Amino acid sequence: MPVDVERAGGRANRLRSTATSGRMVTEYWNNLFTARERGQQVLWYNGQKVNVFAQAAGLAWCHGEAYSAMLAARHQEEPAQRAADARGFMGELCSYARTHIGCALMSDTADHVAEAGLVGGPVVHGDLPLPDFTISAYPGCSSGQQWDETLYRLFGRKVPMFNVSIPFLWGNHGDALAGPEWDEALAYVVRQFREMIRFIEEQTRRPFDWDKLSEIMYYIKQAATLRTEAQELCAAVPTPASYWDWIASIAPVNFLPAGPQLVEYFASVKAEIEQRIAAVEGAVTGERYRLYFDGIMNWNNLGLLAKKFASYGAAVIAGRYTHRAFWTKPHLIDPEDPLPGIATHFLLCPLNHSAADLIRFTLEDCRKYHLDGVVFHVSRTCRSMTSPQFLIAQAAQRELGVQTMMFEGDVADASFYDDALVTMRLEAMLEAIDVQRTRVA
Amino acid sequence: MRTGILERLAEAAGDPWSYAAQWKRRTGRAVVGILPMNFPAELVHAAGALPLLVQQSREPITVGNAIFPTFYCGYSRSLVDQAARGRCEVLDALLFVDNCVQIIGAADVIRLTRPELPTRYFQLNSSVGDGDSVPTAERAFRSLRMELADLVGPVTDAAVTEAIALFNENRRLLREIRALRNHTGVLSSRQMQTLITSSMVMDRAEHTQLLTELLAELTAAAAARPAGVRVHLSGHMCHPPHPDLLDMIEESGATVVNDDLYHGLRYIATDVRADGDPLAALAQWYVDRDATVPCPTRVLSRTSWATYLADQVRATGADGVVMLMPKFCEPQMYHHPQLCEALDKQQVPYLLIETEHEGMPMEALRTRIESFLELIALRG
Repeated sequence: MPVDVERAGGRANRLRSTATSGRMVTEYWNNLFTARERGQQVLWYNGQKVNVFAQAAGLAWCHGEAYSAMLAARHQEEPAQRAADARGFMGELCSYARTHIGCALMSDTADHVAEAGLVGGPVVHGDLPLPDFTISAYPGCSSGQQWDETLYRLFGRKVPMFNVSIPFLWGNHGDALAGPEWDEALAYVVRQFREMIRFIEEQTRRPFDWDKLSEIMYYIKQAATLRTEAQELCAAVPTPASYWDWIASIAPVNFLPAGPQLVEYFASVKAEIEQRIAAVEGAVTGERYRLYFDGIMNWNNLGLLAKKFASYGAAVIAGRYTHRAFWTKPHLIDPEDPLPGIATHFLLCPLNHSAADLIRFTLEDCRKYHLDGVVFHVSRTCRSMTSPQFLIAQAAQRELGVQTMMFEGDVADASFYDDALVTMRLEAMLEAIDVQRTRVA
Repeated sequence: MRTGILERLAEAAGDPWSYAAQWKRRTGRAVVGILPMNFPAELVHAAGALPLLVQQSREPITVGNAIFPTFYCGYSRSLVDQAARGRCEVLDALLFVDNCVQIIGAADVIRLTRPELPTRYFQLNSSVGDGDSVPTAERAFRSLRMELADLVGPVTDAAVTEAIALFNENRRLLREIRALRNHTGVLSSRQMQTLITSSMVMDRAEHTQLLTELLAELTAAAAARPAGVRVHLSGHMCHPPHPDLLDMIEESGATVVNDDLYHGLRYIATDVRADGDPLAALAQWYVDRDATVPCPTRVLSRTSWATYLADQVRATGADGVVMLMPKFCEPQMYHHPQLCEALDKQQVPYLLIETEHEGMPMEALRTRIESFLELIALRG
């Protein structure tokens, strides 16, 4: 007999250790906003983790997507998006791009603003300093490169830009992750890193600190190892940490300065997960369903979605964005020879894989974490994450018999989200899982 | 006779799959599908195959909607839909080189749904301002040549050089016809688009011969350019605007004097160097294309589409610009504000029309176009 889905009365039981992340992030942004006062040069970058090079070079850095995500998560994105709209950037553009471009249009530093004819005025959140130079390192997504190009033109081509071209892992003859195609791609990216470092040296007028880069990568390796080990532990039933906890930990692994505090943070996260496993404490009280979240995060509705899923006893455990990005293969990092390991991770960005590989990864994760269903966030303005989603869903249903649901939303534009629709589809999926269980039983 | 040539070209342009199937039956040779924008079709021709630049189908997208999101450009969705419906059966392979995220996504979905069709990607460095972009292109084209050798047959330097000469001649003829048409209106915009589209799908030697004959006839028939508001058509970087839209623009009283459409000037503006190493020449051609007509899909370009557009309007004496933007085309959306600013600075009026694969509100667009042209006419 079908079982009516009723609210299980579950609630999210968030990791306590991730609260530290909030403090670290606030400190980071405040440091960035005051960079000019300290006489620090500012680098803007988009795409992959150029921050490790920036930190080694003694720069202040801003990851454009991270800034847009932060604004959206704090519901402060609208003024920047309106500024971009007013300038003529359409709503169908990547909303990370539109938000970040809007911030550039609103930022207030005299020289760049005057010369480039940008709109001066106070920014939404703090004072994001305009860059001294920019680096684009966007795998898989041409829109990301074009976004940086747009900023370059908006700055009147007066802010130097460097582009790292990252080959798409297509796999002309089978495996794109090994063999000659991989080797060539890796060598190409490493070569560009060396050119990029020369570019950084030209902009900073000082030699690049290779020792510092090695030190940074030592801490990144440690932190990422702890993070991936902690993620693996979440195969436990009930899961001790959820996708939302990993989202809260994105900033530390993505762009915060690498150092002992980063290692301590992920050590504390792992320790808390281990304690929860020992105590049989779940990330969702009354866990009834275990789910995967495909797609980039819907930053505008982070809290809402975490509560919504939990209220049904649905533990969202893993996702493409949290588990297939951000230093996922720390064993490949050699701090003494860091460039190949860094290049490896630039190439392994989840936007840079073929549909066949993404299907394989998703099915692996579904098996590993004993999942009942896959939720697809079809981010309306992201034409990189979304193209293979129908095929991933079909493969998950066909190969594993798991249920799937899709909902449209967006990374930073709240107007694309319809909560009633999400609720309806979620309930339908959970009902389907219940029916499936009764049949198996 | 003239009508005969145009009809023949229109038939191929209107149904490339049938043309390719007939060509294949007639010659016994392979048909290789290629995707825009910078693919060196000369290499496929040199391999003895027919390079067929896959066109957007005019059929409504149906099956494709089940496997590819609807918020992608009409061209990428049409590609997926055609493959899903089995329209691409004539192809022996599908090859591409550009890193447009929507084209990559479409090709990837095609690859999974049509695993029997070899689908290969040789990525160009889109950062054309980099010193590395020409060597990277050359490496990509050398890999592409090896792949063609496996899929179709050997590709010699001599064959590539010969293909370059043929394709350059084809482009030259198209430019000459286009210049004649821009000055005399001897062809409509729809017909001009037919000439370009047919070049993309037909055997180049056959097409070049037909163009030679057509040019002679058109030259003889040329008359004074019809009066009308002189407009420049801008946009559509990788697939054509609907010909009905072009008809409507002209029927409303516009005379198209220039364009920067892919199925227009972009496709034919740049020749490949005819001397030296042919693959090096093709690699240089890739970068030269952006220098000739700036492409918004490229980054760190030393050229500017906005400056180019403003300069072209001034040079041709266009009264206004009709911007044709395919819905969901991100590169064009990114450039749009600066294009408008460049035209505003020159006090050139412009009209943006967002085009779609199907369901365009033609009568509403007609009203907007007519109003735009009337405003220009009133300005005198």
